[in-house]
Amino acid sequence: MAVKVAFMQLSDCWGCHQSLLNLHLGLLPVLPALEIVYWPAVVDFKHDSLKAREDGSILVGFIEGSIRTNEDYDNVQLMRKKCALIIAFGSCSCYGNVHGLANQWSKDEAVRRKFSEVESIADGSGGEPTQHTPGFREKIVPVDEVTNVDVYIAGCPPKPEQIVSAVVFLLGQKPFPMNDLAFCNDCSIKNDCLLDKGTICFGPITSIGCSLKCTSDGKPCVGCFGPAKTVDSRADRLNNMVKSLSSISSGDKKNVYEFLTLFLNVPLMAGFDLAGDILKQIKKRGAPETPLANLPPTTTDIAGSLMGFLRDNPNFTEISNVCDTCPRIIGSKSTMTRVKRDYEGLPNMDDCLIEQGYICMGPVTRAGCGGLCIKVNTPCSGCYGQTEWGVNQAERFADTVLKGFNVSLSKQELLAQVKDPIGTFEKFTLASRKGGV
Amino acid sequence: MVKEIEVEPVTRLEGHGGLRVVLGDDGKVQDVQFNITSTRFFEKFLEGRYCEHIPRITPRICGICPIPHHIAPTKAVEDAWGVQIPTPAKKLRQLLINAKQYSSHALHFYALAAPDFLLGPMADPALRNVVHVINKMPDVGAMALKMMDFGQKLCATIGGKSIHPISAIVGGMKKPMDESARDLFLKQIGDQVEWSKKTVEIGLKVVEDYWDVVANVGVVPTYYAGMTNNGVHDIYEGDIRIVSPTGEKFDYAPQKYLDALGEHIPEHSYATHMYYKPAGYPEGIYRANTLAMINAADKMATPLADEALQAMRAKLGTNVPHHTFAYHWARLIELVESIEMIATLLQDPDIVNPDCKTLDVQPREADGVGLVEAPRGLLLYHIFSDAEGICKKANLLVATNHNIAGIEKTLMHVAKQVFEDKALDGLKLPDPWIK
Repeated sequence: MAVKVAFMQLSDCWGCHQSLLNLHLGLLPVLPALEIVYWPAVVDFKHDSLKAREDGSILVGFIEGSIRTNEDYDNVQLMRKKCALIIAFGSCSCYGNVHGLANQWSKDEAVRRKFSEVESIADGSGGEPTQHTPGFREKIVPVDEVTNVDVYIAGCPPKPEQIVSAVVFLLGQKPFPMNDLAFCNDCSIKNDCLLDKGTICFGPITSIGCSLKCTSDGKPCVGCFGPAKTVDSRADRLNNMVKSLSSISSGDKKNVYEFLTLFLNVPLMAGFDLAGDILKQIKKRGAPETPLANLPPTTTDIAGSLMGFLRDNPNFTEISNVCDTCPRIIGSKSTMTRVKRDYEGLPNMDDCLIEQGYICMGPVTRAGCGGLCIKVNTPCSGCYGQTEWGVNQAERFADTVLKGFNVSLSKQELLAQVKDPIGTFEKFTLASRKGGV
Repeated sequence: MVKEIEVEPVTRLEGHGGLRVVLGDDGKVQDVQFNITSTRFFEKFLEGRYCEHIPRITPRICGICPIPHHIAPTKAVEDAWGVQIPTPAKKLRQLLINAKQYSSHALHFYALAAPDFLLGPMADPALRNVVHVINKMPDVGAMALKMMDFGQKLCATIGGKSIHPISAIVGGMKKPMDESARDLFLKQIGDQVEWSKKTVEIGLKVVEDYWDVVANVGVVPTYYAGMTNNGVHDIYEGDIRIVSPTGEKFDYAPQKYLDALGEHIPEHSYATHMYYKPAGYPEGIYRANTLAMINAADKMATPLADEALQAMRAKLGTNVPHHTFAYHWARLIELVESIEMIATLLQDPDIVNPDCKTLDVQPREADGVGLVEAPRGLLLYHIFSDAEGICKKANLLVATNHNIAGIEKTLMHVAKQVFEDKALDGLKLPDPWIK
């Protein structure tokens, strides 16, 4: 029996929905489980049909976007009424996102620039359009400012794997293809196996079927396709490696983290409701529960060993920011002696970007993305949201990097060199700042 | 009695729009409004930002076409600061924008447009969507998904993320493509070219099936705004080209956009109405998007696409077709061009060349313009930098916005055809492919 879901779009870009569609062929097993009753960009149900539905009759409502217009506000209330569960879907919905930066100005100043002042208005027209338009609210706010939210999926956009694991958990479905064979069968560097070099690679227990193979890039498989029904012969080697872990390199740390969040599909680890991160899960329950049944014994064994290792390893207690999933070296040969702008120079791929002089939001940003920006040599800008709220974010950044990174600047010097502190430290979250801008 | 017909919201598009048709007692169409009900004031809150951060903010304007919104402001800041980028960076950006063009056009054709044609306009609205198409035509569905997937993965590989990319930076690109990743895409290119050809075949069959509709519904003479590089179709760089309803062509350098493009603020839409300035408003209302691009081009940049363009012009009997339904056809011609461009660029050694970022970047007080063609139309950024490289102000003319007035004009024409001329009554429709 398919369950009813509705997708609502407020003020935003539709990128979270595109991220869900980015599963492409991976959507095929999920779609039959859903009865889509509202999704304007994809299906033809009109607004009236949503209004006409019985209250509470839709199981899951995804709300993408933040509240800029009165129409946005009304649509949130409508969704809350019609849906049993509301998911704040993406960083607009969770935090406000970049357009929350408009809160630096009054609504009237923003309206004046857009509808009266821009250079291309050429015929004397101008002023706020008011005929059959909803009107703007004074400030942009995230969804939980105006209604209760049950689940948060952060990210700009959230990774497809996170979305699907959230959906399938809510629907009680099997999230992954669970193909018969393991990824090793498809690996292009079989003869140059990463496991032989001592790198933790989850290929032997991960399902075959992905099209862009990390190992072709020389990077280990992190298990994002979920477990295979059978394991490859190399699984024993992997099992031995994780059983004898005494310490863990920062590169392996990243792989283990990604493996556990994606592969085990434990929802509280998969990027939604980030308040409950992996360690809290382990401490609370001993081991995270997985909705996946009938895993091969070796796979369960490997996952269990990693859980145990993490539970007993104090270095993992703060594994919830982007640095924990970043392969770069902290405590590198580089030192920040002044704050560099992003256009300056070209950083090397090995050293921490902060230590190379750039403002990277990694240490104060929630994990979940897997460090995508850093992999193309670009600093994190914080799209998954902050790890701590209700504090001065610029100062917190400075305090954090002065404590744990090669930085030879004082807090005052560092902060004085950032000319756009709000755009740098609160690009995605200004609308969530309590007590006004 | 005056009758008001409301379509709320217009579906199978990204964004927020409603349609309103007002009919008088006499059955005449009194008014047609295309109400766009969302805007987020990027024109304001970019003020005070580091200019080089703008390309990391503006992709959030559109989740389907974030790549043009990443590249265009980067080019605008480079124009303002007088930065020359290395050739490998330019080729990486061309590959990136073509990868986006490819996946977006495949998505548009199969997921947004095809349900109308494959199920027919009279189908149950509850079934008229891509999910149903995938269920009923699994082979075509899988092919479509693999095309979109290829484009999105290529975007993610070069851009860092397919949605809201980050790798373009003022001065070039942060990283070249890895050779191993490049090889993986090269292996798939043969299939992708075949599937693009197959898509054109499907498109041509649709045109044949719906010829009565294509030739007679929504044939609306307007101006067109596109971009060409010395007359050749180009989505990465070139001049604005305006085409008049009778086929005259006028070229403007991007920096001269204010001579060509005017903005009118309507009372009923947050998306503004664009028009060709010398012709005035509303006479100068133009259309943008694929048909406009095709009408602006003397020729396509690649052989298969150019062949397809000549075939379209021959079939429609004009070099400046005003057929709204030919937008889909034009989209498929662009789709073919994008996969041909991707095939060529993937074989170019420059895309794995680490010399993809100049170190010679200095802010200066100046303004600059960046122009690209996004999948849904011209995309122009005008950025004013101060001496420290902080944005003083910004003007954005975004893709769909170029088309809003043209869409409304087309809707008025079609509303008259439907309600006054009863033009749909005798229209020949084919048996639906999916029943």
